[in-house]
Amino acid sequence: MKRMIALLRREFWENKGAFRTTPLVIGGLYIVFLLMSIFTTNHIDSDLYTFKEAVRLMGDQSVELRGNVMYQGMLASSVFFTVVMGFVIFFYLLGSLYDDRKDRSILFWKSLPASDTLTLASKLVSAMVVIPTFFLIILVITHIVMAVFGSLMIIGVDGNPWTLFLSLVNPFKAWGMIAASWYTHAIWALPIYGWLMLVSAFAPRVPLLFATLPPLIFAVLQTWIEFLRTFTLKNNVLGIISEWVINTPAILSIEFSDGKGEIALGAPLTDQFDHAVTLTNMLDRIFSVQMLGGLTVAAVFLAGALWLRHRATEG
Amino acid sequence: MNPIISARGLTRRFGRTVAVDHIDLNIPPGRIVGLIGLNGAGKTTALKAILGLTNFDGELSVLGKNPARDRAALMEDVCFIADVAVLPRWIRVWQLIDLTEQIHPKFSREKCLEYLAETKITLKHKVKQLSKGMVAQLHLALVMAIDVTLLVLDEPTLGLDIIYRKQFYTNLLNDYFDEQRTILITTHQVEEIEHILTDLIFMQDGKIVLDATMDEVHERYAELLVSNDQVTAARALKPLYEHKLFGKYIFLYDGVDKAQLSALGELRTPSVADLFVAKMKGVTNTSTEQNEVQTSGAEA
Repeated sequence: MKRMIALLRREFWENKGAFRTTPLVIGGLYIVFLLMSIFTTNHIDSDLYTFKEAVRLMGDQSVELRGNVMYQGMLASSVFFTVVMGFVIFFYLLGSLYDDRKDRSILFWKSLPASDTLTLASKLVSAMVVIPTFFLIILVITHIVMAVFGSLMIIGVDGNPWTLFLSLVNPFKAWGMIAASWYTHAIWALPIYGWLMLVSAFAPRVPLLFATLPPLIFAVLQTWIEFLRTFTLKNNVLGIISEWVINTPAILSIEFSDGKGEIALGAPLTDQFDHAVTLTNMLDRIFSVQMLGGLTVAAVFLAGALWLRHRATEG
Repeated sequence: MNPIISARGLTRRFGRTVAVDHIDLNIPPGRIVGLIGLNGAGKTTALKAILGLTNFDGELSVLGKNPARDRAALMEDVCFIADVAVLPRWIRVWQLIDLTEQIHPKFSREKCLEYLAETKITLKHKVKQLSKGMVAQLHLALVMAIDVTLLVLDEPTLGLDIIYRKQFYTNLLNDYFDEQRTILITTHQVEEIEHILTDLIFMQDGKIVLDATMDEVHERYAELLVSNDQVTAARALKPLYEHKLFGKYIFLYDGVDKAQLSALGELRTPSVADLFVAKMKGVTNTSTEQNEVQTSGAEA
């Protein structure tokens, strides 16, 4: 247990900025925005008439509604914390088993009598418990500071913050809900946390790529397979090739219409092009969008051929 | 007494390459063992196996434990410095001491602070603010404050200047070493450690080519300075190795009677470095002519 605590402290020391400074900045932003709005109100309307009106109107609303709005507002204010916390945990875990391999300090950590299991556990506990707890404590402090400023403002216009809103909501219920949601989310997110730690332990470099590319490739492949599965013959690769072939400007077939046969360009099975043997019809094909696509494909193939040819004599 | 390290047929393969090839080791307590070998000879891999940092085949027991399975438990009695630059760069000195104190049951904060007091390192320093030499001092202070039975040093002074290197070994010898402890060192700067060694192990291509106490080495090996007229007689005694320096011939003998040798010229104790060169050459090539060329090249 003593060792576990020591290892948790080590994680905190190494990631102070992410664990503590980040939520402090968010809380600070909330408070700054509140102060800014107070000063703006005060500046535009020095008698605070509008604010007074607002407080009066608020007092007219039912106790139930006010309580509910307060409660919902408290929950909503946690969203910003939650999203940023997600990023913090993501990058923390991605570096958790990679950074010390990169700077070779792993050799120092492994010279201490702490097992690998304990080390891994300390990093997982940091992500699941330590980080949310830091965020929670700072969120609670932010709420309290905001409530204090709001109350002072209301007292300033002879309102009673206690009856107006403070007594109408149980803050511990809101904080409890937020805490519960964060800690259950930590369990819910375990597969992702596990994946990030796996990548962190495995990646020879740039763990971010190793973490994001495989699922991305997987998703693209799946979309592609789905795409092929729902493809009609006309639009699949074979269809495109056969259409390409029959639309050639070479004189190849006879077109029958109104009982008369006439020599034609390519095979007149589609009405994409006019198949009559004229110079315009030949040029139409060369200056088409299809031709542009075809040229791109050709360029890729030719470049590939050149690359392979270049290497044909190597070893 | 039970050996500190004992290995039978210790082997480590990486694909087709055999980094450590069936080595046997038996290191009793109270020794300072120098493990010497060229780059890629398998020293570091052997040390890694001993420290539980890599898997291996064969039998290996360190302080009665299997390092591959019990690394964490083993590290209560084993310390290692794996070259100068492995302390985490973000950490502060006081954090490092706190951490080691809480994780290591045999760490003495007082001792560590005592050692640090002799340096310019303060508790508030971050490792990344320290010079290479100071990081080595810090690491050594940490390690010397831990009361362990086995200390493993893998190129502990790599990249340090000569003053730090001297100080490093002096501290180690004066303040740390005693009959209960065993130190296992690898280094390329053989000359700096040869006077502190009690045992010598040479490794080549994953095999042990010499494993002897320094007394045995001095007993067995002799270096003879011979002038031109005695060269044929000296060669007849089948030297392990010969080279020419300032017009004199120098021969290195393995197990030849010293009285017999001293009749031919001036007898000396070979340095570990010379012995090492002779041993490596002795295995790789037997032509004396070529030896001469290569040695003069190596000494130039």
